[in-house]
Formats: sequence, C-alpha cells, structure tokens
Amino acid sequence: MTHPILQIKNLTKSYSGIKALDVVQLTLQKGEVHALMGENGAGKSTFMKILIGLLSPDSGEIIFDGDLLKSKTVSEISKMGISMIHQEILIIPELTVAQNIFLGREKEVFQNKTGWLNDKNIALKAADLLTQLGIEIDPKVKMKYLSVAQMQMVEIAKAVSNNAQVIIMDEPTSAISDKEVSTLFKIIRELKNKGVAIIYISHKMDEIFEICDTITVLRDGKYIATKSASELDKNSLIAMMVGREINNMFPGPLIQKGDVALSIKNLGKKGKFSAISFDVHAGEIFGISGLMGAGRTEIAEAIYGLSKADSGVIKINGEEVDITSPQDAVTKGIGYVSEDRKKLGFIPQLSVVQNLTLSSLSEHCRGIFIDNQKEITAADQMINELKIKASSRNQKVTHLSGGNQQKVVIGKVLAASPKIIILDEPTRGVDVGAKFEIYKLINNLAAEGISIIMISSELPEILGMSDRILVLSKGIQKAILSREEATAESIMSYAVH
Amino acid sequence: MKLSFLFTLALSAIVLVSCNKSGNSESEKKDGSKKLVIGSTMLSMQNEFVVNVSDEMEAKAKELGVELITVDAERSALKQVEQVQSFIAQGVDAIVMNPCEVEASSPAVKLALEAKIPIINVNSETTAKPTSFVGSDDVESARIAMNYIVKKLGGKGNVIMMNGYMGQAAQIKRDKGAKEILQANPGLKLLAEQSGEWDRAKAMSLTENWIQSYGTTINAIFAQNDEMGLGVVKALEAAGLKNKIVVVSIDAIPDALQAVKKGTLDATVYQNAKQQGSKAIENAVKAARGEAFDKEVLIPFQLVTKDNLNEFLK
Amino acid sequence: MENSFTSRFRNIGQYGIFLAFVMICLVLALSTPRFFTVSNLMNIGTQVSINALLAFGVTFVIITGGIDLSLGSMVAVTGVLAATFAHPDTYPLIVPVFIGLGGGLAIGAFNGLVITKSKVPPFIVTLGTMTIGRGLALILSKGRPISNLSDSFNFIGGSNLFGIPFPIIILVFAFVICSVILNKTILGRYMYAVGGNEPAARASGIHVNRVKMWVYTICGLLSAVGGILLTSRITTGQPNAGAGFELDAIAAAIIGGTSTSGGTGTMTGTLIGALLIGVISNSLDLLNVTSYYQQVVMGAIIIGAVVLDSMGKNKN
Repeated sequence: MTHPILQIKNLTKSYSGIKALDVVQLTLQKGEVHALMGENGAGKSTFMKILIGLLSPDSGEIIFDGDLLKSKTVSEISKMGISMIHQEILIIPELTVAQNIFLGREKEVFQNKTGWLNDKNIALKAADLLTQLGIEIDPKVKMKYLSVAQMQMVEIAKAVSNNAQVIIMDEPTSAISDKEVSTLFKIIRELKNKGVAIIYISHKMDEIFEICDTITVLRDGKYIATKSASELDKNSLIAMMVGREINNMFPGPLIQKGDVALSIKNLGKKGKFSAISFDVHAGEIFGISGLMGAGRTEIAEAIYGLSKADSGVIKINGEEVDITSPQDAVTKGIGYVSEDRKKLGFIPQLSVVQNLTLSSLSEHCRGIFIDNQKEITAADQMINELKIKASSRNQKVTHLSGGNQQKVVIGKVLAASPKIIILDEPTRGVDVGAKFEIYKLINNLAAEGISIIMISSELPEILGMSDRILVLSKGIQKAILSREEATAESIMSYAVH
Repeated sequence: MKLSFLFTLALSAIVLVSCNKSGNSESEKKDGSKKLVIGSTMLSMQNEFVVNVSDEMEAKAKELGVELITVDAERSALKQVEQVQSFIAQGVDAIVMNPCEVEASSPAVKLALEAKIPIINVNSETTAKPTSFVGSDDVESARIAMNYIVKKLGGKGNVIMMNGYMGQAAQIKRDKGAKEILQANPGLKLLAEQSGEWDRAKAMSLTENWIQSYGTTINAIFAQNDEMGLGVVKALEAAGLKNKIVVVSIDAIPDALQAVKKGTLDATVYQNAKQQGSKAIENAVKAARGEAFDKEVLIPFQLVTKDNLNEFLK
Repeated sequence: MENSFTSRFRNIGQYGIFLAFVMICLVLALSTPRFFTVSNLMNIGTQVSINALLAFGVTFVIITGGIDLSLGSMVAVTGVLAATFAHPDTYPLIVPVFIGLGGGLAIGAFNGLVITKSKVPPFIVTLGTMTIGRGLALILSKGRPISNLSDSFNFIGGSNLFGIPFPIIILVFAFVICSVILNKTILGRYMYAVGGNEPAARASGIHVNRVKMWVYTICGLLSAVGGILLTSRITTGQPNAGAGFELDAIAAAIIGGTSTSGGTGTMTGTLIGALLIGVISNSLDLLNVTSYYQQVVMGAIIIGAVVLDSMGKNKN
C-alpha cells in the first residue's frame, strides 16, 4: 500500500465548551472516493472548514502528502492541492467559463508578466482541460448561461487545473437532476483514475453506495468508524449514524390531546412542496422531519404568511382562514420561531425588553404611547420564565449568546399569546443546557393546550419530543408516524427515498 | 407588460404636449415669404431678471413677426454650447445668447460664426467677440451704487460689501467697480466682505452675523444684487438698525422697488431688462437680413431712489 | 451595576459628538467675545431652525433604513404654495399655513406610497420627487418669486415671543414632539425595528409598509413647516429656495450619530448635529473668514466631528 495522500489524526475543536469535533481521524488514499457521513450537527462541516483552513483546530494534526499542515491560510491550502466544491458555487456570472477557471491565477498559469490577457490562450487551455475531464461545455460561454450542474463541473475543472490532490464535494447532487448526477459520477471516476482523492459528503444513501469506496461516520462530533463500502448496507449505515440511545433528555411526553386546532389540506407551492395535509390538535407536539431542502421551512412560512402557498386550505378551529401576511397570522393566534434567528428572529440594535415586546407592543400601551412600566413588567416576567441570561434587561440582543438570543425570540412569540406555535429548528446553535430548558418549555406550552409544530433536523430531538411526525422528502409528504411507529430508522428510510 | 405600455404611452403624451408648448416649428408667413427664426439660449429661467429679458425678447419678436425659440441653459455652459450647436443644425437665421460663463460659453460664439450665423450676446460677455453685444457694463452699476454711498455718508464711514456667487462674471465686475470707488475715497473703510451667493435667506443670516460682529459701527451695506439687498434689509429691520445703516443693491426687481417705496431699501440700480431684450432681437433681425446694426449697444444703468421711483414702477 | 445616568448617556450614542460640540463652542467663545452673547445665541437658533426641522424628518427616515432627497424641493413647493395664498387681505393666516402643510403631507405620502408599493429604493424614488418638486415649484410660481405677503404671515418667521424668536419656539416644539414619537410611541419603536432588521420586523407581525408610509409623510410635513418658516422669514415664496437643504439635513442627522444603515439614531443627536453646523457657519462669519475658506473649514470640521464620534464608539 502506498502512503496516504491525507492523514488526519485526533482532530479536536470546541466552541465555548461544547465539543464540535472530539478526537476525529480520517485517512485518505490516492484515487479513493471517501464518504463522510453523519446527521446534521455531527461535525462534518466543522471538519471540512478546518481542512480547508477556515478554522483552526484546538488540537490534532493534518498530514498532507507527507507534510504537516499547520496554521495555513485558505489560499495557501488551495495552492498546495486541497480544493472544495461548495454547496453555493462561487463564480463571476459575467465572465466566461475559461475566465472563471483561471481567475486570479492568470499570471502564474500563462507566465505573463505584463498584465495583458490573451483570451484566446485562456480559452484554448480551458478547452483542453475540459476535454481531458470529459466535460462538454464551451469555454467561451458566459457563466450565467450555465445550469447549476454545469457550474459545478466548471468548479471541478478549476480545482483540477489548480493541481488539486484532494477535492472535497459538499452535497454536490443537492441541486442537480438525475441525468446530471450520472455525468458528475463519470467525471469523478475520471478524477479517480488520475489519482485524485475525493471526500464526498452527502445524505443520499444510493449515491454513496454507487460511487464511494470507503465510508467514515461521525456522530455528535465523535469518530465512530471507517468501513469499506462493500462491508455495509443501508440499514447498517443508518444504525451507525443514529446509533446513540435517545435518553431522557426529553422531559415527559404528552398527556392528553384536545380538539383539532390547525388543519392543513392539500397545501402546495410550485417547486417547493405539494399535497401537504395534516391536523394538529390542541396540546399536541407535531414534528416535521426530512432532509435539508425537503420543504420543511417553506411549509412553515406558508402557514405563517411569510410566503403564499399556491393551493390548499388552512383551517383554524374548524374555520377556513386566509393568511396573507405575518400580521394576519399573529392576529389569528399563530406564532413562528424561525430557523434563521439572525435574519428573521430579532432586531440586533434593540434591547432584550424591546425585542421581547415587539410582537405584542399594543398590549403595553396607553393609546399610541408605550407604557414603560407595563412593558418592563411583561418583559421581566418573560425573562424569569425563560431564564434569559443578560447583563441587564437593556442589553442589546446582538450581544447575547446564541441560546439566550433564541430564548428572546421564543419569548417574543409567546408574549403575543399564540394558540399555535411553529418552531423551526428551535435548538439550532444552542448549547446543551439551553436545549434542555427549551424542551421543557415546549412541553409546558403543550400542557397548557397550545398546539406546537416542531421542525427539526436532529432525529433524537424530533423523536423525543413529538407525538406524531410528518416525514417529507423532496417536498412530498411520505408518512405521518405515530410515536410508536417512529424510530430513527423508519424516519431515515422515508426521508432518503 | 400592460403597465409599461401605459407608462410609455403617458410619457410620449407628455413629451408631445410639452413640445407643442415650446414653439411651433417651421411656419410660413401669410404673404409666403419665409419667416425668420431666431434661437435664444438663456442663462437660467429661474432667475427673475433673465425671465424679464426673455419676456421682452418674446414681445419684440412678435412685434417684428419673427419666430423665437427659447431654451434654458440652466446655468450650464456645456449645455449652452450644445444648444447653440443644435440651433446651428436646425439652421436658424440668428442666435441670441445670454452667456452662462465668460470663458466656457465662448466656443458657442465661435461655432455660430463659423457656421455664418449671426450671434448676439445679451446681458453678459464672452471672451470670443460675438456679432454684436447688447447689455450693460456691470462695473458701472457698482460704481453708481458705491457713489451713492459716498454721497450719503459724506465720504466717511464703515462699509460692508456682500458679494454674489464668487467667480461669476457679474460678481467679479461689481466687485471691481465697488473697489475703484473705495480706493478713490480713502475716508471709506471696508469692514468686511463675504458671499451671500445671490440668495435672500443666506444674505439674511450673514447680516445677522455681521450685526453680532460690528453692530452700530456699520454705516452702509452694498449688496451686489437686490435679492441679497432685501435679505440685508430684513435682518437690519429685525435688529432695529435700519434707520442707521444705508443699504444699496443692484437690479431693480419689483420687490426692491417696493422696498425703495417703503423706504427700507435706500437705493437700487436699474438694469434695463426691457431695452436689453428688445435691442438684442432688433440686432438679431437686422444681422439676419444683412442690414446695418451696432456692434455694441451699451444700455446705461440708472440709480433708483425715492425721488425718481415713479419712472420705474409699472 | 451601571449607574443609570451614564448608561442612559451611553445609550444616547452621541457622547463623542456632544463633546466635540462643547469643545468647538468653547474655542469659539474664547476666540471671539461676540460668540457667547444672548443675542448671538438667539441668532444661531433662528438660523439653525429650518435645517433642524428637515433633519428631524430625515432622521426618522434614515432610522428606518431609507433616505429622502426631496427635502429641499419640498421646502420650495410648500413655500410657494403657502405664499400663493398669503397675500394681504385675501385669506386668513390659517389658509396658507394649512395649504403649505397639506402640500408637504401629500408629497411625503407620495414618496411613501411609491417606495412601499414599487419596492424601488428610496434613493431613486426621492431623487425623482426632488426633480418633480423643483419643477412644480417653478410651475406654481411661473419662475418668479412670489412677494407681497401679509404681515400676519411674515409674523411667523420674523417675530419674537417673550424675547424668543418664533422659529426657535417652533424648533423646540418640533424637537419635543419628534423625540416623543421616536421614544414613547409604538410607531417610534417600529421605526427602529424596521431599520434594524426589516425581515425580522415583518416576521414579528409589524406592518412594515405602514411604518414607512408614516415616516415619509412625517418627513414631508416637517419639510413643509420648514418651507413655511423660510418663506415667512424672507417674506417671499422662492421657487429656487431650499436647493441643497437635503444634504445639510442629512449631514446633521449623520453627525448626530444616526447610522445610514438604519436602526440607530436619536433626535438629541440630530439636534446637536444641526447646532454644530449652525455654530460653525455663524462663527466663521463672525471671524470674517473668506467664503472660499469657509467651505473648506466646514467640510473639515464635519469629517473631524464624525471621526471623533466613531472613535468614541469603538472604545465602547
């Protein structure tokens, strides 16, 4: 066996005490396609960021082609031969394919000292490169006219032209069609023949087994195992990924159900989701699960009036409603905690108090004037109830920790006394302690008869909390599982098909 | 789609209507002979004096039976040159220009002369010599105003001068005239000078600040135009100093004449818009027809005080 | 625990600019004895009043993350409108005042309507209104100043009440109302929310478009007050009045700590910004600095004040 191109040993990285990566290892041979698997939050993206130089590890070492990589910048690492094909592709749309491939390296590649560019040369060289890889794209076309899949191929070509020894592909098939996937695989095999090693990140089991030689599984930041693809099948892989016991992190389940509070019939939005139907009872916690991009958030936004569904009926307490804006939703008793709290959750320049009362300000007023005393009383009550930790109630929310920011956002929604609450990834980026408090809060709310829709990528969370779980795949409702039916395996098998 | 169509329609309608308003193109005279067309480009139609000159030109053109196309250069010499170019392209018979700037408007004169179209400068000058100049000498207007102050103060006292927009022809010349008289009368002391930018509100603030600085030591204020003069008067009135300080300005706009009548403004200098406008058209017509005309027509300024006010009030 | 006075002071956010203002006043008081007199201070107050009114309006707009370039033109239109109805022995004083205010309200509401309905950036919309407004002022006045206004109308800008010039009284009144709107009302809170994070404000159930409508309308109304005050002060309705006023007003707001990216700003800061500009131009006149130098000095002081302010903020 030849010496490995890349060797990673005992990589550890923690954020404010929480270990994102805990003694992780990986060995990559030349010409190997190596899958990196794990649930969301297992540590894959932290791992990749360290590898391409965006983050520096707390401890551990990375040996590339025999050299120890230490405190290198992103551009140094890419010059050494490690390239990443991002989920969002970084291109200049107004430049041609050829110009994009050699962007920023014109001087070195064409040994041109004057600074003048010869577009013909660039195009010739690019054409050469593309044929070598079997990519059928005209190098003189502007980037903006290409499909996402084609852009991805250009990115790969760019990496190859940069003498990449290791190419990292992060969900390369998430936005491209089946036919394009097979072209991509052809190119990957071509690269393999040239001795390029590939780290392949994907949720799609079929692809993994089709293209990968080796699979490494991470879970909760820990290295679980590295196995040859031929040793595994789908079920054994899923078991490795979700394998942990779902312990009693989740305080007691539902006691009793009330009447149907929210009823969704045939909700659809073109290109996002279709034929979604479910009921949520008072006091029920209704989970929605699915892979990223399955349409979970889009459904939530359609119910809350942030975007409009094309078809379908929404009923609240048996009455059909037309929700065209968040204002409508709030007045009809719906609250929404977004997955993206920075964008849709809070106002960074306003204080804890001012954020908490934002959705219910008219209740703390005399006429058009804000009653400061009333506002502070209401906010203090929320701060105590949710155990929000801030240096003072007048601290700006932007200065709080992620968990406390999230609590402020939840508090803002609760202050408007909603009957139905949609929680989209309520514990994303929140530390374990705050997580537990949020779970307790959700259970208390349900006990008070509030209907809860919880969207989550974390399987243990959704399994532990939900009374029933709707599983989505590519915008289509695959199943609604009862608490008894729902297991990590059953959810995964619906979600990936 | 529909909206953008409606928008285009509305836009073309507006353009059509406004074109119609600004003069009909190529019309034939009743007797069949071709009507003379004169193009005129004016400094700024937001300036009252210029509007007055332009109105007189319009009246005179009507009287003489020639067609007058008037455009506004909006204080831009560049725009003015382009306007003259388009007049040349349209083949007008003569051009009247009220120059924006001494140097920068000169190319327009040269272009017209090269195209063999007579060009008449009205009100202010350019470095390039036009076919004919009709206007008044701004240096003279300041001399008249300053001399009035000399007479009023008996040749002794403290004077303040408020300049127009610095660097413009009128400001430079009025400054020159005023300084000549000050030099000839060493008894007069120039306490301060500052720009009021031809603007009434600015002049008012500036005067308020001067009152803080110099108070009753000021004996007279010379403002280079009436707008500023009226601002000065407002500020002095508010401070209760109007009776103690002589104020003179230039242009004799209607507001200023009213102020002279009330006795708040001591004097203004009349620049004859009427004569400038009509003489300019007369010369343009004569030049276009190949008749004899004066190369330079200087219309004299006149001092306006309470005594001779009635000649100027319409 | 932080002392509540200092914390409040820090929250105001114009710590640096306030110091700069005090320092400049001190220097001026030492360099000319005429600066620190009651009559000169009244003088400055009067001269500052119009710019301050416009600056209050534009502060609301900038806090919501917008901008209004049509202030100067609104001053001209409303001034001309008011002057048209203010000739002696025609209408009672209330008529020109209300017509002027109505004009400002209408143009402001027009700005708000186009911005909220079309989603075109406020910079472009108000740039358009700026030109339209100037044209309207010229059309209404036929290009000539409208003079011969009634004594009662001229009283607004030219008289005193208990020894205090009327424009200063209007300024103080407007300052109090604007501060109350910004700090004590739902609308004010929503302005900060919209400017701080518009998507989050919308997701919190705030009627974002309604907030923007209010803001531009209030800005139009304040411009109209400025326009009427100016017309009354110079006793003529001038179609070319107010040119460039928008830049002075925006400068005052920014000097006072209003962030152009929205979400922060106070009326106190804006008032200090307007006073700073007024004090500088007043004192340069007092010191008889030539107008060429005045412009250079003014620009340098504006930059210096803002740099000082941002340095102070970074320290926090």
